[in-house]
Amino acid sequence: MGFTTKAIHAPFLKKDPHGSLHMPIYESVSFEFETAEEIEEAFLGKRPRHVYTRTSNPTVEHLEQKIKHISGALAVVATSSGMAAIADMFLSIARQGDNVVTTRYIFGNTYSLLEKTLGPWGLEVRYADLSRPETIEPLVDDRTRAIFFETITNPQLEVADIRALSTVARKHGLLLIADTTVTPLYFFKSKDYDVDIEVLSSTKLISGGATTVGGIILDNGTYDWRHNPKLEQEAKRYGPFTLVTKLRREVFRNTGGCLAPHSAFLQSIGLETLALRADRSCENTIAVARYLARDSRVKRVNYPGLESSPHHDVAKGIFGQRCGALLTFDLASKKDCFAFLNKLKLVRRATNINDNKTLALHPSSTIFSEYPDELKRQMGIPDTLIRLSVGIEDLEDLQADIEQALGA
Amino acid sequence: MKIKVNGTVQEIEAGLSVADLLARHHVEQPEMVSVQLNGEFVQRGRYAATVLKENDEVDFLYFMGGGA
Repeated sequence: MGFTTKAIHAPFLKKDPHGSLHMPIYESVSFEFETAEEIEEAFLGKRPRHVYTRTSNPTVEHLEQKIKHISGALAVVATSSGMAAIADMFLSIARQGDNVVTTRYIFGNTYSLLEKTLGPWGLEVRYADLSRPETIEPLVDDRTRAIFFETITNPQLEVADIRALSTVARKHGLLLIADTTVTPLYFFKSKDYDVDIEVLSSTKLISGGATTVGGIILDNGTYDWRHNPKLEQEAKRYGPFTLVTKLRREVFRNTGGCLAPHSAFLQSIGLETLALRADRSCENTIAVARYLARDSRVKRVNYPGLESSPHHDVAKGIFGQRCGALLTFDLASKKDCFAFLNKLKLVRRATNINDNKTLALHPSSTIFSEYPDELKRQMGIPDTLIRLSVGIEDLEDLQADIEQALGA
Repeated sequence: MKIKVNGTVQEIEAGLSVADLLARHHVEQPEMVSVQLNGEFVQRGRYAATVLKENDEVDFLYFMGGGA
């Protein structure tokens, strides 16, 4: 069964009493039990019942089950945002004195989470050039817990050779964690690349039309948790369910980053059209990228689907024709970037990615504005850079707007 | 023979497997339950082959729940 069929026809765990074709929105904080014994069993995890929407909810569960059905994952936990998913995941797998290997080419808020939020609590972050996997191993020691990367980095658009990363991870018993926000589910099957955990923002392609903020932690069930000293004891009891148990019965439960039922409903509907929207936006993106590359006013265009990208071959190998819907281009100066942005009439000046609308942003003065110039340089964020998240508009309308905005 | 299931002592016949026990208890949503035998995880593929012995302790745990 294909992606869209699964997304539309994912079965309910329990038959709906009214034969509803959509999972109803269970806007209820709490759930009643027939006896004190039953509620005791539910709290102890001996009965599969929802007790409190912060920990689980039928509408949210249906979204989780739908993603599990589509992806073949062992377990899925929906969170209030992609950042909540990333934070809960690191809080679950690492303790003071541990380290993770990643790249400076990650989303600005993820960098901030690791350096400014978790760093003072004792998580060390070590930076490699993930486009050169040989730079990872010298950083690995017995306190290294994971390699973390974005499948297509935002906004540097670097694409890692995932198989090369998984080879290093397997050799050292490390968790391989992929932020697949830009290339969720439909784009590739992470389990086929030995990715153990996916974290992603369901705000983006999953929600469809940027209706709601949300996040997903997806566990492929491929990691042996006995390799992680923090979770060694739990691994004996729960085996491959170690992380999901840790999340549901401690970290996710205690941090409270739960997805609202109404958001889950909208995102569940969004999943049904993800493939259609992804195909259209990727087709638009390569066309806009080629159009910009021909324009002498544009100094440089970056898109993994373009042959000129240093990551083109790797991207094509993993994602085929769908190399995401993000592209960047450089103009002559920050002043020119602002002039371009201010002249746009159809494309929206807004943050977020993978909306149905095409969105334009100057990353240096927005998402990365809290970082000093030298660090921005290391992170690949010049002030001449514009990021376009290309939507599903009619292509000629997009090109016309970009053309007039580039004009004098 | 006597075993414990979710903390409760039960009398069962010899030769019963974990799979048999799950079926007997009409475990709801078996795909969402993890099984521990004497504190250690039992792989799903081993349920039928894992035969229970006297004084074994079996726990079925659903990884949900536990609210305010």
